Amino acid sequence: MKRFTLLIMFILMLSSIAVVGAQDDVVVAEPGQEVDMVLLPKFLGILVFDQAHEGALEAHEELENPGTLEFVGPGPGEGADAQIPFITSAVTQGVDAIMISNNGGEVVEPATIEALEAGIPVVSWDSPVTAEGETVFIAQVDFDETGQVMADMALKLLPDGGTMAILSATPDATNQNEWIEALQAVLADDPETYGDIELVDIVYGNDQSEDSYNEALGLIDQGVDLIMAPTTVGIAAAAKAVQDEGLCGEVLVSGLGLPAEMQGFVEDGCAQDFALWSFVDLGYLTYYTAYLLATDAIEGEVGETFEAGRMGVYTIEEDPTREDGKRVLMGPFSIFSPEDIDNWRVELDEE
Amino acid sequence: MLQNRDWSWLKTWEAFLALILVIVIIVNSQLSEFFFGTDNLINVFQLSIEKVIVAIIMTLIIINGEIDLSVASMMGFAASLFAWLFERGVAPELAILITMIVGVVIGLFNGVWVAYFGLPSLAVTLAGLVGYRGAARILLEDRSVGDFPAWFDSLGQPDWLGPFSAGIVVFAILFVIFAVILHYSAFGRYVYIIGNSRDAARYAGVRVRQVKMILFVLSATISSLAGLLIASRLGSVRANQAEGFELDIITIVLLGGVSIFGGRGTIIGVGLSILVVLNLRNGMGLANYGGNIQTSVVGTLLILSVLIPNMAQYLQRFEGFGRKQKLSPSSSSD
Repeated sequence: MKRFTLLIMFILMLSSIAVVGAQDDVVVAEPGQEVDMVLLPKFLGILVFDQAHEGALEAHEELENPGTLEFVGPGPGEGADAQIPFITSAVTQGVDAIMISNNGGEVVEPATIEALEAGIPVVSWDSPVTAEGETVFIAQVDFDETGQVMADMALKLLPDGGTMAILSATPDATNQNEWIEALQAVLADDPETYGDIELVDIVYGNDQSEDSYNEALGLIDQGVDLIMAPTTVGIAAAAKAVQDEGLCGEVLVSGLGLPAEMQGFVEDGCAQDFALWSFVDLGYLTYYTAYLLATDAIEGEVGETFEAGRMGVYTIEEDPTREDGKRVLMGPFSIFSPEDIDNWRVELDEE
Repeated sequence: MLQNRDWSWLKTWEAFLALILVIVIIVNSQLSEFFFGTDNLINVFQLSIEKVIVAIIMTLIIINGEIDLSVASMMGFAASLFAWLFERGVAPELAILITMIVGVVIGLFNGVWVAYFGLPSLAVTLAGLVGYRGAARILLEDRSVGDFPAWFDSLGQPDWLGPFSAGIVVFAILFVIFAVILHYSAFGRYVYIIGNSRDAARYAGVRVRQVKMILFVLSATISSLAGLLIASRLGSVRANQAEGFELDIITIVLLGGVSIFGGRGTIIGVGLSILVVLNLRNGMGLANYGGNIQTSVVGTLLILSVLIPNMAQYLQRFEGFGRKQKLSPSSSSD
């Protein structure tokens, strides 16, 4: 079923490329223009954000941008407003584009609006700001689909029903909140299928390993059957907690995880199915979009189509999951199951 | 004699701060042509205004020989209480009033233990640090409460009054008021006298308990106000709001030349210290240093701010030992 969905999505993507390719108005970036950019993650020191940085650097070199690409952000565990000084600094520096994974809900909006008013495009990625507070959002996957994917993973792991708890990042993380809402909507809309899965709790580990670990222990003590963590930090911490408690296979762990971080747990049976997309690609696509906006090649209007290097052609569209929002949809999901671990196992660098 | 020596020493510390400030500003202006823009200069203050507001009252508390570690938790609790009331349909004006009254009550609570039961303020307010934060978490749990009325949100934004936010206006007013109180009023003198020696103050007829009580009430009340200002600046409240701010606030005060042992320090020194810390953070931001580096640099400054004056004092005493003894043999009780 999932593979089928993926296949359909793939075909749709190919066909959209074909259709768009037939038109002449695909904007192609002109390399070598000097554009100073800032890539602002939720926190520094988290692997997926480093991967996004890697992708952005790849695009930076590919486009031969003589300008700078700064990767700055708050330290782990800082508050919802910790990104604001980085935004205002970027505005003061007069950078040409800001790329932000929002960790502050609406808290950062006044700061990004200030940037927009100063003529600086704000491209949100991973976690959007607001429709008014950004030029366009680079959506890794469709937010409603994330809810569906998590619900399906839960259904697969709890075929006879059971209790599920969510271990999220911070309570202000826009992306996680939307995914959780989408998951709740899927569960509520189709009681025939998902009626036996009971969502009993939502807790927040603030994207810090220790907090997440402790929250996971709390959930284990509550006796939940499945911990669903829509954050790579959370799922790894939950798997570790289950492992340390010696409950592998009794308390199931699922959510969004990095293969490199999860494969050990999956091999030991301490984590089950999980999903993710490529953060390297996300950083790459975000960079291309921001570069095109900063060089005035595109305006950030719905319907504009552009080429993003090796990743192909994308179109800015209305975001159906957020009112007045505009997005570039990357996709697709990759789902990593214990059954086909041989297909996704990654070679880890021994250090 | 004691007065004279203190004054000259502080003057050099303040001169030192002023020198650092000039250097920081010069470096910053090199880093960015936008540094001297009005927007940036307002941002320098805007983003930390709540901390520096609380730093003013913290100055008096520390000069008085006490400490208030509960300020940041109090800020978080006040904001959470306001948000909790607002969520339950209480009119925001009334919610603000209730929050401020609760701030006064908590200040009385802190003050009673310190002033009348003689408990160390370190312990009392450490309990407050944990307790008021816990209360905030009980009220809001993991939620983030927002959607306050537009007039409330606008308090925290620039352009509330001229180019300034309400926080900056409050800071300016409090700074002047407390500078006058500390340096030109009887109350201010009592604050210093008690900080130098509680016993001497009592024998001199100073109402030690009353002074301490007033300071702790002011501290909790101003912290509540600062908490509300953060809520208006950010437009939403979480229970962990302002977490860890007490360390930044105390850093600013100590860097301003206020002695952690009490009895010494000036509002002007703290004002300079505020400018140094804020401009330094702004400059490091403009130079694209991350949050961790910024925290380490400010931490290093704190260590220096405690070390340098103590070493200077030590050297001064060592050098001028004979002369001072001759001039003021009675000052050895210092």
